[in-house]
Amino acid sequence: MTLLEVNHVSKQFGNETKALSDVNFSVSEGEFVSIIGPSGAGKSTLLRCINRMIDASNGEIIFDNMNVMNLKKKELKMVRTKIGMIFQHYNLVNRLSVIENTLHGNLGKKSTIAGALGLYSQEEKEQAVKILSTLGLDEHIYKRADQLSGGQKQRVGIARALIQNPRMMLCDEPIASLDPNSAKVIMDHLRNISTTMGITVLVNLHQVDVALKYSDRVIGINHGQVVFNGTPKDITKDDIQRIYGSEAEDLIFDIGGIHAS
Amino acid sequence: MDVNEQVVSGEQMLKEQSSKPIKIKLLTKSTIAIRITLLALAFLTVYAFFSFDYKEIDFGEAMLATFANIKAMFFEAHFNHFTFTHALYQVLITLGLAFLTTIFGAVIAVFLGLLAAENLTSKRVSAGIKGIVAFIRAVPTVLWVLIFAVAAGLGSVAAVIGMTFHSVSYLVKAYSESFEELDNGVIEALQSSGASFWQIIFQAVIPSSLTYMISWTFLRFEINFAVAVAMGAAAGAGGIGFDMFMASNFYLDIREIGTITYFILAIAILLEVFATKFKKKLRVNG
Repeated sequence: MTLLEVNHVSKQFGNETKALSDVNFSVSEGEFVSIIGPSGAGKSTLLRCINRMIDASNGEIIFDNMNVMNLKKKELKMVRTKIGMIFQHYNLVNRLSVIENTLHGNLGKKSTIAGALGLYSQEEKEQAVKILSTLGLDEHIYKRADQLSGGQKQRVGIARALIQNPRMMLCDEPIASLDPNSAKVIMDHLRNISTTMGITVLVNLHQVDVALKYSDRVIGINHGQVVFNGTPKDITKDDIQRIYGSEAEDLIFDIGGIHAS
Repeated sequence: MDVNEQVVSGEQMLKEQSSKPIKIKLLTKSTIAIRITLLALAFLTVYAFFSFDYKEIDFGEAMLATFANIKAMFFEAHFNHFTFTHALYQVLITLGLAFLTTIFGAVIAVFLGLLAAENLTSKRVSAGIKGIVAFIRAVPTVLWVLIFAVAAGLGSVAAVIGMTFHSVSYLVKAYSESFEELDNGVIEALQSSGASFWQIIFQAVIPSSLTYMISWTFLRFEINFAVAVAMGAAAGAGGIGFDMFMASNFYLDIREIGTITYFILAIAILLEVFATKFKKKLRVNG
């Protein structure tokens, strides 16, 4: 079943810079999709157009049979509660504890006053603790967010998204600031979320090898256009070259090695 | 600026090293301008002392008389027109005036500060509020109190309104700047999960800037205490300032002024010690 459909979406900043032009793709329920491409290709813009953190200029984005582009403020909030998002720089509130940060994911579903005062129900708290312990953070529940390592912070970011009970997760460069070990832990968690919970995961990645290893499908973007859309098995050297431009020859990984593993 | 002309390549520098010491600062237009200004100011200061019109006052004699006054003030301090408990009570009134105006100011400034923070509202609203607030701040507190005294009459009411007015303008600037320090990503993260404006304010913006807000508020409290003393004298707002006014202008009792100064000093030191301890604690826990 198709969960997300992106049809003819384009985005223009100002008069000249075209971040996205005529982007088309669709994502099925439970699929793990990576978006790869050089810096400035429009990956982040595309991700933010989906939950309307940025308004696309043209086209339609259909999430769960609703056109996100036409939603009013209240309906948009409803849709956003169903889409979790995690970020390269984690974007946690540093002065609050891990569990407070996790519970922030519930704000969208609460009344303004209860949310503003931080009044959470026992049920919500239990769920937060449960999610944190599946992510291996049960020892750090009361630690302040700025006392954690990068990998732990990103896991809190994932917990904050998961407590929303999302249909889909948007991940904007989730491992770009992490060391290889933490990056592997994070990618394993994301893969696990997709496989066991059936949550659709859409990840922006810089690391082609990671994208090929973890994804069901890879979408390659260059200059705001989709230049590749297929399974990791189908990707060829030519495709990589089309995604990353002429310097692709010098890319520091071996495509054959990945196909073999 | 023609910095390029003056930049010497590292190799050249090493070649010349044996003959010339290496400069750390380049002599640019701005450093020259600063040096000329400082020299001019130093010259003017010295010149002014020689060109004062001293009339028939003998400088040495005047200095001695001043020292005698200071000695009488601080070493022969005594109570004459009031008692220790009275003075203590009056200091507490002054403290109360400072506390009240700081609290009023802080509460109003939190909301105006949120509106004045560029990352939370639009640029236009922010610029508007910051402009008005800068104007209010430019006028001294005493003047505001006297302006409000036209409507409310000289006394504590005018002092409270005027001091609150100035505290608001001061704290709006301080608060809005600490709100603007917040990483935009955090706001984005909560927005993307469907959180509303006020939820983001209370769950992310205020917790992140709480320590800054508290230390700015404390600083304003200290300023307000000093202003409250002055208001007692200048606007008849009561408290220890009024006693000081009476001692100096009515009874002409210089020794009593010494006593009052000691009281004010003690409170100021107490506040400072408390503030430092409190901030240290905040930094550890908050």
